[in-house]
Amino acid sequence: MGGVQARRRAQGWLYIAPALLFVVLVVVVPFGQLVALSLSNQSLLGGGHFVGFDNYVKIWNDSAFWRALGFTLKYTLWLTPILMGLGYALALLTVDNSPLKKATRTIAFLPVVIGLGSSSLLWIWLFDEQVGLLNKALVDLHVIDAPIVWFVTADLAFWAVSISVTWKVVGFGMVLFVAGIQSINPEILEAAVIDGAGYWSRVWRIVLPLTRRVVLLTTLISVIGSLLALDQFYIMTSGAPRGQTFTAVYWIYQNSFVAFKLGYGAALSVVLTAVIMALSALQIALSQRGKAE
Amino acid sequence: MTTKSLGGALALTLLASTAFATAASADTLSMWVRASGTNAATNLVNLWNASHPDKIELTTIPDNQMVTKLATGVQAKDVPDLVSFDLIYMPDFMKAGFLTDLTAELKANPNYASVAKAYQDIATYDGKIYGAGFTPDVSILVWNKDLFKKAGLDPEKGPTTLGEIHEDAKKIRALGADTYGFYFSGSCPGCNIFTGSPLMVAAGSKMLPANGKDDALTGDGVKAVLEAYKAMWDEGLVPKSAQADNGQDFVSLFKSGKIGIQGAGGFVIADFKKDVPTMNFGITFLPGVKEGQTSAFVGGDVVAVPVGSKHVDLAKAFINWELTDDAQIEGLAKNNILPSRPSLADNKYFKAEPKLVTTAKALGVGYVPWVFHFNDMVNSDSSPWINMLQRAVFDGDVDGAIKEAREKMKAIAAE
Repeated sequence: MGGVQARRRAQGWLYIAPALLFVVLVVVVPFGQLVALSLSNQSLLGGGHFVGFDNYVKIWNDSAFWRALGFTLKYTLWLTPILMGLGYALALLTVDNSPLKKATRTIAFLPVVIGLGSSSLLWIWLFDEQVGLLNKALVDLHVIDAPIVWFVTADLAFWAVSISVTWKVVGFGMVLFVAGIQSINPEILEAAVIDGAGYWSRVWRIVLPLTRRVVLLTTLISVIGSLLALDQFYIMTSGAPRGQTFTAVYWIYQNSFVAFKLGYGAALSVVLTAVIMALSALQIALSQRGKAE
Repeated sequence: MTTKSLGGALALTLLASTAFATAASADTLSMWVRASGTNAATNLVNLWNASHPDKIELTTIPDNQMVTKLATGVQAKDVPDLVSFDLIYMPDFMKAGFLTDLTAELKANPNYASVAKAYQDIATYDGKIYGAGFTPDVSILVWNKDLFKKAGLDPEKGPTTLGEIHEDAKKIRALGADTYGFYFSGSCPGCNIFTGSPLMVAAGSKMLPANGKDDALTGDGVKAVLEAYKAMWDEGLVPKSAQADNGQDFVSLFKSGKIGIQGAGGFVIADFKKDVPTMNFGITFLPGVKEGQTSAFVGGDVVAVPVGSKHVDLAKAFINWELTDDAQIEGLAKNNILPSRPSLADNKYFKAEPKLVTTAKALGVGYVPWVFHFNDMVNSDSSPWINMLQRAVFDGDVDGAIKEAREKMKAIAAE
């Protein structure tokens, strides 16, 4: 009996071995190296030695990093509800498979397939004071008197980046939500209609609860994506004005590849990883608690 | 063995040795060049390839990836035979031991003595030479002659002092709502060290500290220039968009014909000729506060041999060759690119374009700061240099901005 169990256990390990090996090689080992690097003062140009927790002490006193992290959290807290709300609304509007709604879904999803770098470059020109289409449209519609210089203050830059990223990413959530909504058994919705439930009642009491897992997954992906924001700020704001639009990853990039401080950059990365893991765990825990209630 | 077969064997041996010799001499060297230097480097490499049995294969590396790629390559012992990169990284690379010592070869090369001094200085570390000027660029002042004429200024005479820049800019701004007197990219650290710092140096300032004991931003030039920029900003002589420009519009507004004066680089001569051939503009040295004070920032690429190169002798031969009159004139000047030897400024190709002569001569009066951590002090988007400029010009706190930048630069230099 014991022999059978042992054999089955071994067989189980054998089945998961390829996946385990993959995870160890591409996640565990590199992360271990990252942690080891974070305990050194290694430069991108070579050299360096073990410095213990010096880098972590330095992070504690690095006001620029905490400001960048604060800015990243603000960006995440601001953008996530917009992306989720708009994505869900678009999904509700286009969930049926009529040709027009399919075409609308395709159009809304198109920006997702272009790179974030390309989209940021596109938007920087759309926002341009002299030749930008957006300023021209706003002036012609008499919404503003004179063209706005969008990246001149941190608030305006924040708005500009938020608009561009919403355009770029909202279709991603929409597609996942459409898939979630379409997987609901139509009989449940038909029964609700027969029982006299209105559209919003069906959305609120049936569609939303039954797509909770998709919403959780999409929110998690969106939050992690926002916490790791770099490209859009690197291209559109360069951290300006006065470093007020640096994100956490941008600050890590600055330290690792511009100032050549690989060891310090690694320590910053470890801290950011911990923050993201903590926030993700909190998010999952809150969702589970809501489910239990 | 018969005479016939002996002759046959000898012929075969000769043939084989010739074939071997040909194969051995016709090597292919690999060369990395940063993207912004590719155009100029291609001209030189094509000229070399057309006249030498050993060929060079050029690979373009995006500007912001060069340091990482070279650092990784050196540590993995997988490097190109030659590398052309932004000269400003030279001190860091020499200190890190990335480059091969070229002292013997370059000291023996009679052409090396006439290479722009800025290139000689930046490529020397502890008395040893590690590279040579390759595809230069240098900062200059450009002015729009048509706007000067409209504003009642002499279109053939560019500003020769900081005060004149300010006064001329006022007159040009008076031409209309869409026309501005002066321009600088307010969120671009590299653009401003290239075009703004020479104004400060010309006015007697020293910019960056070489080590933790050295002072930063000394002299009155820094304050004079920041105050002039601030005054022009406050008076609306500079477009509002300048504040947010991270370099994307470095010369594009000037090309649109709406800017009177601005600092730029020698590259604009070819650039404007291609994009706005009818533009009527002048070029002069970047001035200081007083008449006769001039300076320039020497930029562009140096060429060096990374440690681990598999064809060191050939790579050294290429560097020696690129300094010859033929390579400098037929490879660079012929294509409207500056030679790295200022003495060749008066060449047959530049005669038709006096702007090129002025620019080439600017190489001779130019400076380049020999410092470690240049990126951290200047090029980074959070550098003390760009923070100083923005705080002084846009926030109006000139003294506070200079004081803060001095302290931060010194701290970086001490690392």
